Amino acid sequence: MSEHRDEHLDLCAGYALGSLDAADRQRLEAHLAEGCPVCQAALGDFSLGTMMLAASSPPAAPDPALRERVLSAVRATPQSASPEVRGAPEAPSRGRVIEMRPRRPAVGFGWVWAAAAAALAVATAVSWNAAGRVRDQLANTRGQLVQAQRELEEERRWAAVMNAPDARVAHLAITPAGIAELRARATYDPRTRSAVLVFENFAAPSGKDYELWALRGAGVASLGLIKPDASGRAILRLENVGDPNELAGFAISLEPTGGSPGHVAPTGPVVMAGKFGV
Amino acid sequence: MSQHERDLECVRRMQAGDERALAELYDRYTPLIYPVALRILRSAADAEEVVQQSWLQVWKGAAGYDPRRGTVAAWLLTVARSRALDLYRSVASRRRAEGQVDPEPLARPEDPTTSVAQRQVSERVRKALEGLAPQQRQVLEIAYFEGLSQNEVAARLNAPLGTVKSWTRQGLMRLRELLPQKEWV
Repeated sequence: MSEHRDEHLDLCAGYALGSLDAADRQRLEAHLAEGCPVCQAALGDFSLGTMMLAASSPPAAPDPALRERVLSAVRATPQSASPEVRGAPEAPSRGRVIEMRPRRPAVGFGWVWAAAAAALAVATAVSWNAAGRVRDQLANTRGQLVQAQRELEEERRWAAVMNAPDARVAHLAITPAGIAELRARATYDPRTRSAVLVFENFAAPSGKDYELWALRGAGVASLGLIKPDASGRAILRLENVGDPNELAGFAISLEPTGGSPGHVAPTGPVVMAGKFGV
Repeated sequence: MSQHERDLECVRRMQAGDERALAELYDRYTPLIYPVALRILRSAADAEEVVQQSWLQVWKGAAGYDPRRGTVAAWLLTVARSRALDLYRSVASRRRAEGQVDPEPLARPEDPTTSVAQRQVSERVRKALEGLAPQQRQVLEIAYFEGLSQNEVAARLNAPLGTVKSWTRQGLMRLRELLPQKEWV
């Protein structure tokens, strides 16, 4: 039996890769034919390395119809009755079978694939989670965008009220019942019957609410409570404020919390009032 | 049943004339052999032809498969690669006779029909290849995908034959090490 030398491992690598020159191949086959456990084990490793090299090819799939073409051709093709060795340029010479890995289980590429895929599963899960986060953020951002678009649309609509060419403006004046700091201004667009009202210093005393009224002809109609922010400022945007032929102006009363009972008419003192063009 | 045992069972069924066994192997290994054929031939039509001829050869020669010579996967890969290289050489020599140049390597767009696992494995192996010394990688790729012998590779790279041999060995071992060792116990 020829003694195992390190150079045999170089030959095993070239053999597995299918790149040995004829002389080297014959030399290695002669060595293998005598049974070298070291080389046999190494061949198994190099064979797996070669499969990994093959798997580095860019992923691609043939035409799905190829499968049926192959199977049809197979059905029409008789098999060889006797064993043949085909398509293996590095196949050992006939007569001696060279075992590539007698002491370890042989491994198919499917397993290679599965092992590599399993090793990647964690990374995949991480990317999947990351992708999920990105998707959530995207959905969130989309939601914000839609919201911003709605708000912008709303702002445009109300800006149109403020900028309407025939808009009417009422500066509300403080009555003797009101405190001196109150400021209120109303802009009304007769075409859309919408109004924008701006209030400043409208923090109501404890237990009280300011209520806004439309002055319509001889009567009044409640337009709701004025709920200022912490700085006492409030902006009301109101639709269907009133018929331009009837609406004369606005008034504000100081009511118990929740407003005038029934919201029919002011029950508390009127603190501000104003008519258009006055 | 391990993957290898399932493969062996398929070959036994093929040897008994069961076409469904070939269909099973086709589904399992065409994702491995088609990209190799495509990379060698740079033509989808040629690669499909090679894949079809390879499966026919495997079908006809099923009785000749000997598990002691290597795994079913290695056998299938060897059949497809050598057929692809044969066709590549004949096409290349015809081109040379007609004064044409070889086509450029195919661009590598992401093929949406390939599986996620396939793309990940391929990507991982490509990254591992990028980790090899450039010469090691070049030696492996030229030898395997262009079908050059080690002498031819040495001449092409203007490197000593002994160096080409040791680069081949180191490179394949690095790729082998990508796979978990514990599975072998």
